[in-house]
Amino acid sequence: MNEEIKSLNSYLSFRIGDTSFCVNVNKVLNILELMKITKVPQSPEYMLGVINLRGEVLPVVDARIKFGIPIKENTANTCIIVMDIEFEKEMAHIGLLVDGVMEVFEIEDEALLPPPGIGSKYKSDFIKGVFKLEDEFVMQLIIDKVFTSDELIVVNESGNELTT
Amino acid sequence: MEDFTAKFKEEAIDLMNDLESALLVLEAHPEDKAQVSLIFRAMHSLKGTGSMFGFDKISSFTHNLETIYDFIKEDKIIVNQEIINLTLSSVDVIKSLLDDDSKVNSEINNLYNEISKKIIDLISSTDKEWENKPKIQQIITTKTELDKTSTYFISFIPNENIFRNGTNPLYLLDELACMGDSIVIPHIDSIPELKSYSPSMCYTWWEILLATNQSLDDIKNVFIFVEDDCQLEINFISSLNLLDDKDFKTKFINKPPEKKVKGFDQTKAFIELFNKEKEKKHINITIPKVNIKESNISSIRVSTDKLDDLLKLVSEMITVQSRLSSYSEIVKEPELINISENIAKLTRQLRDNAYKISLIPINTMLIRFQRLVRDLSVELNKEVSFESIGGETELDKKIVEYITDPILHILRNSLDHGIEDKESRIKKGKSERGKIRLKAYYSGANVIIQIKDDGKGIDPDVIKNKAIEKGIIAPNSILGKRDIFNLIFHPGLSTASLITDVSGRGVGMDVVRRNINDIRGEVEIDSVLDKSTTITLKLPLTLSIIDGLLVKVADTIFVIPLNSIYKIYAVHLKMIENNFYNLIALDGKQISYFHLKEEFNMPNKSTKQILHAIVVFFEDKLIALIADNVIGEYQAVVKPLGKLYNFQEIISGATILGDGTLALVMDTNKIINKFSNQINNKIKGE
Repeated sequence: MNEEIKSLNSYLSFRIGDTSFCVNVNKVLNILELMKITKVPQSPEYMLGVINLRGEVLPVVDARIKFGIPIKENTANTCIIVMDIEFEKEMAHIGLLVDGVMEVFEIEDEALLPPPGIGSKYKSDFIKGVFKLEDEFVMQLIIDKVFTSDELIVVNESGNELTT
Repeated sequence: MEDFTAKFKEEAIDLMNDLESALLVLEAHPEDKAQVSLIFRAMHSLKGTGSMFGFDKISSFTHNLETIYDFIKEDKIIVNQEIINLTLSSVDVIKSLLDDDSKVNSEINNLYNEISKKIIDLISSTDKEWENKPKIQQIITTKTELDKTSTYFISFIPNENIFRNGTNPLYLLDELACMGDSIVIPHIDSIPELKSYSPSMCYTWWEILLATNQSLDDIKNVFIFVEDDCQLEINFISSLNLLDDKDFKTKFINKPPEKKVKGFDQTKAFIELFNKEKEKKHINITIPKVNIKESNISSIRVSTDKLDDLLKLVSEMITVQSRLSSYSEIVKEPELINISENIAKLTRQLRDNAYKISLIPINTMLIRFQRLVRDLSVELNKEVSFESIGGETELDKKIVEYITDPILHILRNSLDHGIEDKESRIKKGKSERGKIRLKAYYSGANVIIQIKDDGKGIDPDVIKNKAIEKGIIAPNSILGKRDIFNLIFHPGLSTASLITDVSGRGVGMDVVRRNINDIRGEVEIDSVLDKSTTITLKLPLTLSIIDGLLVKVADTIFVIPLNSIYKIYAVHLKMIENNFYNLIALDGKQISYFHLKEEFNMPNKSTKQILHAIVVFFEDKLIALIADNVIGEYQAVVKPLGKLYNFQEIISGATILGDGTLALVMDTNKIINKFSNQINNKIKGE
């Protein structure tokens, strides 16, 4: 069963700011419209809070803050991608707030280009590689790491990490 | 395969628990053979399944232990303290081996080797001892082995001139008697009148009922040398040991002499008659057996995951149901209201039942306590008995896990410092044997667990002086007895090593209190000097449902557990604005407060003038939490926030409200702790 899913070469692409990212569809459970998020006091800014996902408490992370992308007004496109991630060796459900989902595309593994090294805005620890689609580049995220790390995944100009 | 291994471990842990409790019973009643076979069985299944799943060390280990209990079963050795100690420490080794069979650390390995050696020594010494004993005893043991015993009817009519070969038929009978239970009936009817009687002739013949586990051939072998000098008839009667049945035996023996059996046919007829008579009784015997079977399947093992799923579904249903009832109130359609009310009732029952399923009796942890008392009393050379009442009281599994360590701690204190040594006990006119009693019972929505020892108790004056010395209380403070005993939970006092010597309550009672508070429970201590010390734990039935008060802070709704709330007051915004000391006067009392909106750093848009002060208990003080609004009571199904919020301490979970949104459940103790630390740090910083 797992084997079968792993061999799926389908990816869900989404937008954060003007940048496109994607994750393998086997990580994605659900896409939700934006709803009221209950903020949990005394938590980092990127932890938006919790929502009720069919009786389960689902933490929501703001991808824009985590990725250091300026926050625009929420639109009708803003949504929460519910993902199944590995957190401290156990599976957990987590919601990622993004500016909009784009499409599901299929692509061969060979098409994955190595992550851009020098000059990249993002730490290579979190980027598995880049797909070149017709008109744009889509970065594939190592999503488990994105959530498990307390760090922001953007490196700012001076090389210092932003702290939360 | 991993699944099976996990299952094996689960099963093994159950077996170990059975084993431990059986051992403790056996220690008190060494003659109890039922416990021995219980232990033997547990060892046996552990050995079998252990080797199946590659826990080779466990299986070789238990194999040797099994041998010892086999000896006990066969009366080769008697149960003694050494064996019990050895087995108990083996149980410990097996437990640690279960965790990791292959990569055990050297410490366990040493222990393992040491105990293995002891066991083997014991076995070999018993073996030697056994070989030296006279044979008769071995025959006795075969008597007790009833497994394959059958009953035979033997008719032995020696020829009259049998004595001429030097054969003494009585020796043959003796030999038969050695093979098992027997009834020998001599027949002397063929003895002639005295004048024709020859002392060198044998006139007597015998009929024998023999119950033995040896084969027909073995019986024949007894007569091998006289085969030609007698008429021998050996008949198989029954595959049971008829002679084991006392009724049968007495009936058989007490028959009038003239009716005594002659020949196999008569005997058979007699036995058949007897069996028919017995059939009625048989029914009586079989009924309880059936009952046992039923009670065996009346409980099933369900994985906690499945239970969690069930509870999740139930709480989802509660949420949907509350939406339905609020909708039906708006629509005001009588039929809909009717249905909604019925569903509400059913959901409530369903919820209660589902939560009951996840409760387990506290019996499950009692074995550990018993074991601790036993081990520690041996170590401290005190005689202490542990008794428990209300072991069937049920609690949420998580609570049981939570309280086990605190209770172990309390027991350790009682044993170490509470109960005196034998001499002082005798001097005080107490019985030599100390007593610790654990009593559990329901009280409303709580479970009370009371641990009482009859030790030297606690002297309130000593505690008070100590507290004054430590600067915890002012020298002139006047405290009630209860307040003084409460000081024991004060971290500053209980970590002081001296207290162990004077009061008998050692290090870490503050930890006990904190652990119990974490699950919304309470601890109290009471003592009569030189008589007793009683520690009472008050625990909630379940962790996942709480009665709470819904309050609003900025835009977020919070739940404050009702049992921590003292009173609610309306306060004016002016009273808390620019208030430097964070103190307000409520009912004439000075109470320090925390303004939640500010402490939580939530946007402050409202211009509300009247706020609410929710006064909660914090340790032995009262603290007010200021919220914008009080919404009402709510029965909250608490769900964890998830691992991503593991760092989050002040919120113990979230609950789903009727409209599908979430409310956060406050842990008032942790909130207050955190805020007061922040203030202290601020002051220090300045």
